[in-house]
Amino acid sequence: MALHTLELDLAASAAKVTLPAPSHTGVTGSSDLEIMLTPAPLSGRVTVKIVTPVTGFDPLWARVMQKFLDETGLYDTAIEINDNNATPAVVLLRLQQALAAAL
Amino acid sequence: MTNWTDLQSCRFIEASARERAIGLVDEGSFTELAGPFDRVTSPHLKLLGDAVAFDDGIVTGVGQIGRTPVFVISQEGRFIGGSVGEIGGAKMVNTIKLAIDFHDELVAKFADLDEEEKPMVVISFETGGVRLHEANAGLLAHAEVMDQLQKARGKVPVIALIGSKVGAFGGMGFVAAATDVIIMSEFGRLGLTGPEVIEQEMGKEEFDASDRALVFRTTGGRHKYIMGDANFLVENSIAAFREQVSALTGLSIEAFEEMRRIGSSAKVKAQLRAVALAAQMQPGDATEVWSHAGNTDAWGLIDLPLSDFLARVERLSV
Repeated sequence: MALHTLELDLAASAAKVTLPAPSHTGVTGSSDLEIMLTPAPLSGRVTVKIVTPVTGFDPLWARVMQKFLDETGLYDTAIEINDNNATPAVVLLRLQQALAAAL
Repeated sequence: MTNWTDLQSCRFIEASARERAIGLVDEGSFTELAGPFDRVTSPHLKLLGDAVAFDDGIVTGVGQIGRTPVFVISQEGRFIGGSVGEIGGAKMVNTIKLAIDFHDELVAKFADLDEEEKPMVVISFETGGVRLHEANAGLLAHAEVMDQLQKARGKVPVIALIGSKVGAFGGMGFVAAATDVIIMSEFGRLGLTGPEVIEQEMGKEEFDASDRALVFRTTGGRHKYIMGDANFLVENSIAAFREQVSALTGLSIEAFEEMRRIGSSAKVKAQLRAVALAAQMQPGDATEVWSHAGNTDAWGLIDLPLSDFLARVERLSV
């Protein structure tokens, strides 16, 4: 029952924004998560690494991440997440906060 | 990014470990060491399948207040109750060690150094002590922090700040007690065995952990201030804690030694007199001890605004 690591390689439907510098937001509290955003030369794509105790929700993670990218147009970024049982709504909210804090 | 000016009025009890660390030192002066970007997470939690944090729940770094270099350790209660494991413990130990080494280096190089220019360590506690998932490593870390506190003694003052949600309990209660100065807010709580653990072990008749008023008048800042376990009681804001730390910069190491609650035969004797008093009084409630200290309206102290409380309170002397 080791921690579950999920890695995704995604792209926003339309690339609009990238980051000036790496940024870290949030705390891996109960039902919460922390997010690290790092600018990276990924030819417009976004890599995502999620470390979580939760298993069985990989497709849902991919959908939430894709929704975030489509909404914001984030590109050329490595996203790293330490999750502690956050719900999809909290994940999306924290991602938006992380991006707002990074810009 | 976090705005330093906004942080100052931020309620200390709700501030995250990083907000406290940044806000306690001068604007823009905080440099985090072994921070989240170094991605040093707990190997034990990973094996157990429990969530990890990039900073392992402890923020460490260095900044300055005026001319004083300040090494900061700040614990994050929202990550597994601020528990101290192997990584977070190592960060604490090495931050204190860094301050001591820096002190020695400075003193060797500059003979005419002001007290104000010598480093100090500030620890913002928010923890229940050892992280049970990695208990052996966590306990060892506690011992190593204690060891560093002893090495710092007489050279680098160590100041404890207690005003966060979780309080300072368990092994870290011991560590806080072993520092030179303790600054608390009235919402800070300090103790060894936490309220819930006392209730679990001794029963609800002995201690009702769901009675918040009882918990606060037994472990809270006002009680600890009356008992002399806390040196200073301040308002619940980052600015208030920062101002009190700032007021302590430049004091001689002898002045810090004087503020310790333990650590000399005279202080041990005073502690023993307090134990004898407790045995003699057999108090059923903290307010009985407050009355004994000379407070005629002990219950009235609880709801006084802090400034009135500080102006009126009599502290226990044994």
